[in-house]
Amino acid sequence: MQDPESEIVVDEVVRGAERLLRASDRPLRRIVVRSGAVCVELEWPSAAEAAIVAAEPAPVEGATSLLYVRAPMVGTFYHAPEPGADPFVRLGDLIELGSQIGVLEAMKIMNPVEAGVAGRVTEVLVPDGTPVEYEQPLIVIEPAGV
Amino acid sequence: MFDTVLIANRGEIALRVARTCREMGIRSVAVCSTADLHSAVTRVADEVVCIGPPAARRSYLNIPAIIEAARRTGAQAVHPGYGFLSEDPDFAEICAAEGLTFIGPTPEIMNRLGDKARARATMAEAGLPVLPGGEHPPDDAAEAKEAADAIGYPVILKAVAGGGGRGMKVVHDPRDLIRAFHDTRASARAVFGDGRLYLERYVESARHVEVQVLLDNRGNGVHLGERDCSVQRRHQKLIEETPAPGLDPSLTTHMCEAAVKAAAAVGFTGAGTFEFLVDGTDFTFMEVNCRIQVEHPVSEAVTGVDLIRQQIRVAAGLPLDLSQDDVVPSGHAVECRVNTEAPERGFAPTAGTLTDFRPPGGPFTRVDTHGFPGLTITPDYDSLLAKVITWGADRETALERMDRALAEFVVEGHGVSTTIPLLRKVLREPDFRAARHDTLLLTRMLGET
Repeated sequence: MQDPESEIVVDEVVRGAERLLRASDRPLRRIVVRSGAVCVELEWPSAAEAAIVAAEPAPVEGATSLLYVRAPMVGTFYHAPEPGADPFVRLGDLIELGSQIGVLEAMKIMNPVEAGVAGRVTEVLVPDGTPVEYEQPLIVIEPAGV
Repeated sequence: MFDTVLIANRGEIALRVARTCREMGIRSVAVCSTADLHSAVTRVADEVVCIGPPAARRSYLNIPAIIEAARRTGAQAVHPGYGFLSEDPDFAEICAAEGLTFIGPTPEIMNRLGDKARARATMAEAGLPVLPGGEHPPDDAAEAKEAADAIGYPVILKAVAGGGGRGMKVVHDPRDLIRAFHDTRASARAVFGDGRLYLERYVESARHVEVQVLLDNRGNGVHLGERDCSVQRRHQKLIEETPAPGLDPSLTTHMCEAAVKAAAAVGFTGAGTFEFLVDGTDFTFMEVNCRIQVEHPVSEAVTGVDLIRQQIRVAAGLPLDLSQDDVVPSGHAVECRVNTEAPERGFAPTAGTLTDFRPPGGPFTRVDTHGFPGLTITPDYDSLLAKVITWGADRETALERMDRALAEFVVEGHGVSTTIPLLRKVLREPDFRAARHDTLLLTRMLGET
């Protein structure tokens, strides 16, 4: 059983971790929160490693010029920031390079999924709340200017 | 019993675990990197989840991805195999926190025995003989020098967090100690993330003999005899066999009994291996491996016990279904590791696509491999391609059979070479044949210093 004071400490630590998470544009690699003697550890992949993920070109599929946005990790794919909210993208939307197209939840951490290309959303392949594996295609984009 | 087990590994051991799962009626889930999407285990497992890119730290060492894969497939337990996360107490702890059974010892035991300096102290306390050495990892080079002078040369510096034959340095000359301490500490820090070292007297030429133990959560424990792994190069094993040839059976029996007793004393559960050095009639404890070992099939061959099955049973909370009296080793078994390496170029790993791959068969011959024609061997992972295990009523028969099996083995691919020719050379070596060899055999054969 924890005393109220340590609960306050834990709450504050979790809030601090959340602020740090929001401030970073990269997915987290590891998080440890302990309450005894207070410890919070957050670990991001190195900048070089993360940049490779973001810059990975979506491969051209077949003869068409359609591109996939693929899952950057194993997790559960959500269309919207929270249940009942508007989805990040809808069929036919024009999106910019780096636009958020969904959220991937992995071990209770919400990771934004961003488009590696600008263009029009022509298909959403994965239903809301579906578990996905690494590199699974999530949405199809017709690149701008094609 | 579990209905679904996730296998957090790749290569031959992932396949090995999936096969036992199938035999036990357990669904198996394979995880793989994008380099292994068409690997052998993906055709044997009931379900496959791609968890990341080829680099191990983003796939097979990626704990969140593995936990998510377990969750989405409904796995209740995780088999870590060997290497990768198999000896990571944090991973075992995270599995438990996520409601998954880690198939291995408890995180507390892994912590205690994974720290080699602590394991040494713990086992000395549990009654196992240890080599002269420092009680605590020295804080600095001066303290290390003092300890080494007291122990006597040659000494070996070992990373507390080391493993797999890495993070060690032998020092013969007292004048080299300080530099060796700094070098080894730096590489231990880089490779294992922990720069602490400990010192021990180095035994120049000895036999490397290990004992396979198996303990459940209810206080039952057995040993499955010993394995001799003296044919090694720079602490990398190449040939293993059981029983240990040329050793007095009363000595090996004593070692086996001492290992089970020590394992029970510290509350070890599951399958583990106690490694010893045998010098004449003396044996000393080296380390405990809290996982299944590459060379486990030789013990299976002489005892008829499926070690993976026993690991899964113990993890599921079942009692061992065998007592020491049920373990009656019969005959002799040998294992040869076929690695995609070029022994003539310092054992450099070779990569490429296999244009032909025909493993041996025939009587009393087992091959554990993830190889198939068309497999592309990438430089991302360990170079172990296949393990050939032969059994014979006696050592001579098992060795003849091994040479026959290796002669049949075809592995071809542009740029791919294997250890097969070297293995066959060792099999013909008179000292090995007569069991007069020790851990320096290969070094002498290769003319290395």
